[in-house]
Amino acid sequence: MEEPHHAPELFLFLASTAHDMKNSISVLSGTLERLLGDASPQTEKAYPQMAQMLYQTRRLNDSLMQLLALYKQVGKPGYPFDMQPIETGQLVEQVVALGRVLLESRGIELELEVAPELVMHVDEDLIVGVVSHAVNNAVHYTRDRIRLTVQEVDDGIEIRVEDNGDGFPPPLLATGALLDKGAGGIDFLTNSAGLGLYFAGEVARMHRHRGRTGAVRLENGGPLGGGCFILTLP
Amino acid sequence: MTTPSAAVTPAAFPAADAALALTPPMPVKVLERIDWASKNYLIVDDFIGVRQLLRESLRSLGAKNIDQASSGGEAMALLNKLRYDVVLCDYNLGEGKNGQQVLEEARVRQLLLPSSVFVMVSAEKSVESVMGAAEHQPDAYLVKPITEGVLLTRLNRVWRKKQVLRPIDQAVVEKDFLRAARLCDEQIAATGKTHLIDLLRMKARMFERSGQPARAREVYEQVLAQREYHWARAGLGKIRLADGEFEQARQMFQTIVAENRHYIDAYDQLALAYQGMGQHEEAGAILERAARLSPNSVPRQRNLGQAALKLGNIPLAEKAFRKCLVLGEYSIRKNPDAYLGLARVCGMKNETKDALQLLLLAQREFGSGSGAEHEFMRLRAKVTEGLVFHESGDERNARRAGEELDAMLQQDPARPSSAICVEMATMLFAVGLKDTPSEVLCHVVRNNHDNTLLQDEIQKIFDKARLQDEGAAMIRAARKEAVDLMNQGVVLWKGGKLREAVEWMREARTQVPDNVRVLFNAVQILVSHMKQRGYDADLDLEARAILERVDKLQPGQGRFAQLMEQVNALLPKPEEEAAADAAPEPSKPADDRPAPKPVSKPASKPSARSSRARRGY
Repeated sequence: MEEPHHAPELFLFLASTAHDMKNSISVLSGTLERLLGDASPQTEKAYPQMAQMLYQTRRLNDSLMQLLALYKQVGKPGYPFDMQPIETGQLVEQVVALGRVLLESRGIELELEVAPELVMHVDEDLIVGVVSHAVNNAVHYTRDRIRLTVQEVDDGIEIRVEDNGDGFPPPLLATGALLDKGAGGIDFLTNSAGLGLYFAGEVARMHRHRGRTGAVRLENGGPLGGGCFILTLP
Repeated sequence: MTTPSAAVTPAAFPAADAALALTPPMPVKVLERIDWASKNYLIVDDFIGVRQLLRESLRSLGAKNIDQASSGGEAMALLNKLRYDVVLCDYNLGEGKNGQQVLEEARVRQLLLPSSVFVMVSAEKSVESVMGAAEHQPDAYLVKPITEGVLLTRLNRVWRKKQVLRPIDQAVVEKDFLRAARLCDEQIAATGKTHLIDLLRMKARMFERSGQPARAREVYEQVLAQREYHWARAGLGKIRLADGEFEQARQMFQTIVAENRHYIDAYDQLALAYQGMGQHEEAGAILERAARLSPNSVPRQRNLGQAALKLGNIPLAEKAFRKCLVLGEYSIRKNPDAYLGLARVCGMKNETKDALQLLLLAQREFGSGSGAEHEFMRLRAKVTEGLVFHESGDERNARRAGEELDAMLQQDPARPSSAICVEMATMLFAVGLKDTPSEVLCHVVRNNHDNTLLQDEIQKIFDKARLQDEGAAMIRAARKEAVDLMNQGVVLWKGGKLREAVEWMREARTQVPDNVRVLFNAVQILVSHMKQRGYDADLDLEARAILERVDKLQPGQGRFAQLMEQVNALLPKPEEEAAADAAPEPSKPADDRPAPKPVSKPASKPSARSSRARRGY
């Protein structure tokens, strides 16, 4: 009952396969980052293709991570939620490091507006995963700029990932509006981006403090005029 | 923007220079640059691709000295040879030791420097990685897939945190818990909010270990006023538990488990609460759940086996003990309990042959080392042998085992811990012997003369052996012997005969080596001697050795912390004068609690060790 609905052997098999896949993705994206880091569009003919490979590897990575977290019942007491204090600067530093080569290879500028010494109480791996996925997602939507802000708001912390693209398409905005209602409201068949959004919503909901819970919403507009992914944590 | 190299806002990304990229991207307070290049690194992973990836990441820090191991065994061999500054170790290493076992063995064998950073890498957030599951926690966890940026950020952070905690860790190594608690306050004042929660947690632990539950409670409440941290809630629960408020403690732990099913420490405490209320079935069920959640913990499987044995749940006990043996194969925490427990199980299933085989195995495995556990292995095996025969109905062989144990006890006057003594006496009475078990029980009373609960238990054992009145008289006499021993020391001390008092307490200690009150008094008198007649390195050493023993016997005593502080204050320091404490009062020891309470044993930190094996580059 503790490990969800499978025979122990099957679970072990899945776990070791997931481990293997994670190793492969680590090596794949590490290698691509290294190649891209040593190259430039002038010296390397395949530079744009390599950048595209890195982007796709990241998507693969995010999806695998999200699926595994859902399998481990993220959002429910069965998930090994691990809250720790962490300075905002430390958290943002990891998101920045994760996205650095990808953003450079796509010629995208990342602006930061962060109160670095603000202490958050979060499951670091989950939040870095969510924000970094939002940045990767913005890579797809933006023209050439992404802005990451972390600030203290009433009763909590707000993390925004904004871009200067054309904004989220209406179906995705609609999905975002349904997040509060759980997975039932999301049409995963027509909306593959729903997985990432649903995952972000579950992660946000796991963060609770004095009766308040975290939340995720999508908007268009904002200072850069494109899509805005907004994660609030109590 | 056209050129990718200039694509990112300079303020955000200081440069391609990896060392620079490590410093926080925002203009925060300037932190000193960590010199990663000169450190020694060990990478442990069974997958060569990951080892290469990690090696490349470390090289971008400037690291030159990077060793690699593909298995737990290889890792241990390398750890044996060199004191690494940074160990990156995968949890899952295939056949052989896993990452946790590598960590435990390295810590227990003191193969890591106090400043070393051990990072556990795992495929997923596992139960073991959520606080409270393992006694030996790594300095940081990394969940795969690993990326260079996250690795470097975390390395920096854990290194800085170690710097902040270093003076506190040193005080803990010296078991000066009061000083450690004060240092926590100093570091909070110096570092502000950055490490506040970690330092408060440490401070609360120091108050617990120095026998000040009220102050520990204040700290936990201070944390909970900010955030609902499970460990702080569990800390409050443990204090309730120690105060015997089992129902309140049960409710607190139940709430934690309901909110986070993987907070494994809460299960262990919940089981204790049920045991305290006499609800052993419930306790067993909880331990079973905990063992399912954290199936790879040797102590957890052992506890489950022993609880199941007490409940008479033979199949469950057998399963737990067998698992324990399998797990123990590669673990430094392997211990004889599972062998002895499994032998009992075999006895109950009338498989005495298998039971005897296990006892032989246990003696072969554990009988040859040094230390208390090994010294008394023969006695323990013999007790179990008697119980196995007794429980399988073979009274003739049970009696023979009893007589053999009797002979062993008469030959060697040394006695194991009180719990094992009680077990021995019970078995000897059960096979019809009288004198030796009575003597053994008197030994226990002499060593626990102020523990009325234990004396009640012993009286019951006498009752069962139909020695009601004789037993009561023996208990009284044994108690008086201990009190006389103590009082004579106090009389000498009060009369100013310090030399004689010290001598007397040495003699008393040979007679009642496990009597915590006598041990405390012995230290108190040594401290007096040094205060009045000057510091003496030998007496200092003697006092510390006694305190070390007390902390093993009954951790978390207030008087331990006070005496440790006094002993440390006596160390000659040129610039500082030892604080003139009020005269100690050995006749009325401060510890007036009626009975020793089950305090969870604190993990012992490895002591400082020089790095002789550094290789020359």
